[in-house]
Amino acid sequence: MTSATIAHSTMETQRNTSSPAALPMKVAIIGAGRGGAALLEVLHQIRAIEIVGMTDKDVSAPGLKRAQELNVPVYGVIADLLRDHTLNVVLDVTGDPSVETMLQQHRPTGTAIVSGQASRLLWLLVQHESTLQTELLHAEKLAGLGSFAAGIAHDMNNPLQLILGMAENLADETDLKTVHAQALDIIEAVKRTTAICRDLTSYSRRASLQQDGLVNVNSKLDEALKIARYAVALQDIDIHKHYQPDIVVKGNPDKLLHVFVNLITNAVQAMEHHGTLTLETIAADGATHVRVSDTGCGIAPEVVTRIFEPFYTTKPPGKGTGLGLYNIKNVIQHMHGTIGVESHVGQGSTFTLTFPGDPSMAEEPPRAET
Amino acid sequence: MSEFKSGFFVGGESCNGRVLIVDDEPDIRKVVRMTLQKAGYDVLEAENGEKAIEIINYGENRLLLDVMVCDIRMPKVNGIEAIAYFRENYPRVPLIVLTGFPDTDMATSLLRQGVVDYLVKPVEGEILKAAVGRAMEQRELARL
Repeated sequence: MTSATIAHSTMETQRNTSSPAALPMKVAIIGAGRGGAALLEVLHQIRAIEIVGMTDKDVSAPGLKRAQELNVPVYGVIADLLRDHTLNVVLDVTGDPSVETMLQQHRPTGTAIVSGQASRLLWLLVQHESTLQTELLHAEKLAGLGSFAAGIAHDMNNPLQLILGMAENLADETDLKTVHAQALDIIEAVKRTTAICRDLTSYSRRASLQQDGLVNVNSKLDEALKIARYAVALQDIDIHKHYQPDIVVKGNPDKLLHVFVNLITNAVQAMEHHGTLTLETIAADGATHVRVSDTGCGIAPEVVTRIFEPFYTTKPPGKGTGLGLYNIKNVIQHMHGTIGVESHVGQGSTFTLTFPGDPSMAEEPPRAET
Repeated sequence: MSEFKSGFFVGGESCNGRVLIVDDEPDIRKVVRMTLQKAGYDVLEAENGEKAIEIINYGENRLLLDVMVCDIRMPKVNGIEAIAYFRENYPRVPLIVLTGFPDTDMATSLLRQGVVDYLVKPVEGEILKAAVGRAMEQRELARL
């Protein structure tokens, strides 16, 4: 780390990628089927693009539901959408020639129409981007598992030692009471070993088997602590939990677990095995906040602005993928949240996840997901 | 002094020597104790390096402790730190490492520091007893 005096910096991930003065490009999406939904999913993550509306003649089209979740206005009639906004681009993914003809006829001046093969090309690119994000998440997860080796070996070999020792003893034990007690010890040890495999195989699988839904944040943080202890030594870390009860966010439980494991692992690594890890959940001002703080080395100002970039790492070659925080940012943005960091060199860092809205108020009842 | 699981003085039983087992896992201490007691050793337990240091500095243990079997990954004072302390302050007590995580670099470094054996869990009883037996011989030689 640098020897800079107390450095302070805060940062939001959603930076405007174009020049500061430029207004976002206003885009409308016509067609809310698979293509439209996929486009919406990727384009809404880009600050320089504003999705001003979406339409589909089928009111149950999947993209429309998603648009509503993202607070993107939904229109039943294309003409209304064109009338309400000054548009830079209209993306027509209906594949319907009559829609294309209609759009060309009513095209406002200065608005570009992307339809037919051009919009198909865009869709393919978007699909590629979304596959790439999934692959990067998985690649980073697998790379991270390497660092779990020490923890896994420790946690597996301890019960194995018990099993071996007991079994050796049982081979010539004549006291039935001892035989019985040791057999039970062995069964318990096997269960512990099995639990390790179960935790880790579900953690490392490529695609989440779980649907998006309401996730209990507090129990997800606890689950993440359990997994993080394979990657980093937690035994000398003071763990403080400030959980507000019943905190839920909407998203994918497995991806959120991955985010938490990563943030906790980073925090503990920053402390070099001694310090305080604070996990905090708060619902306030209509938003949900999750904070992971450490009392570690902190992040230098020149580094903090780059930590969410893909492949950016300060670790030696082979030690870090540089994908951890980049993937976290993608997952959080997908959940319509933001991630920010506040860091003081020599004092520690706090990562704050903010999710707008209060999903517990949504019509969907919380699932018993842990 | 609840960590003093065995008596300080072994009465009429044949005592082949006193071993301190340092491991944060109660299961490991239990099973190692079982194996070594059957082989006629007197066994003391410590749940981390800090406790191990306390134990060796207590009463007559500094004279009576023959061999230490030590884990590496433990809270508070870990195995590496405890071993460094024992090597410096009690160089005549032979040390055996019993670890769940085989690490060649660490093994080399510990053997250079004078650790007599580096065992990886799960270790068979016979191998553990043989290692402790060799360490006891070394301890006897050191006493001469």
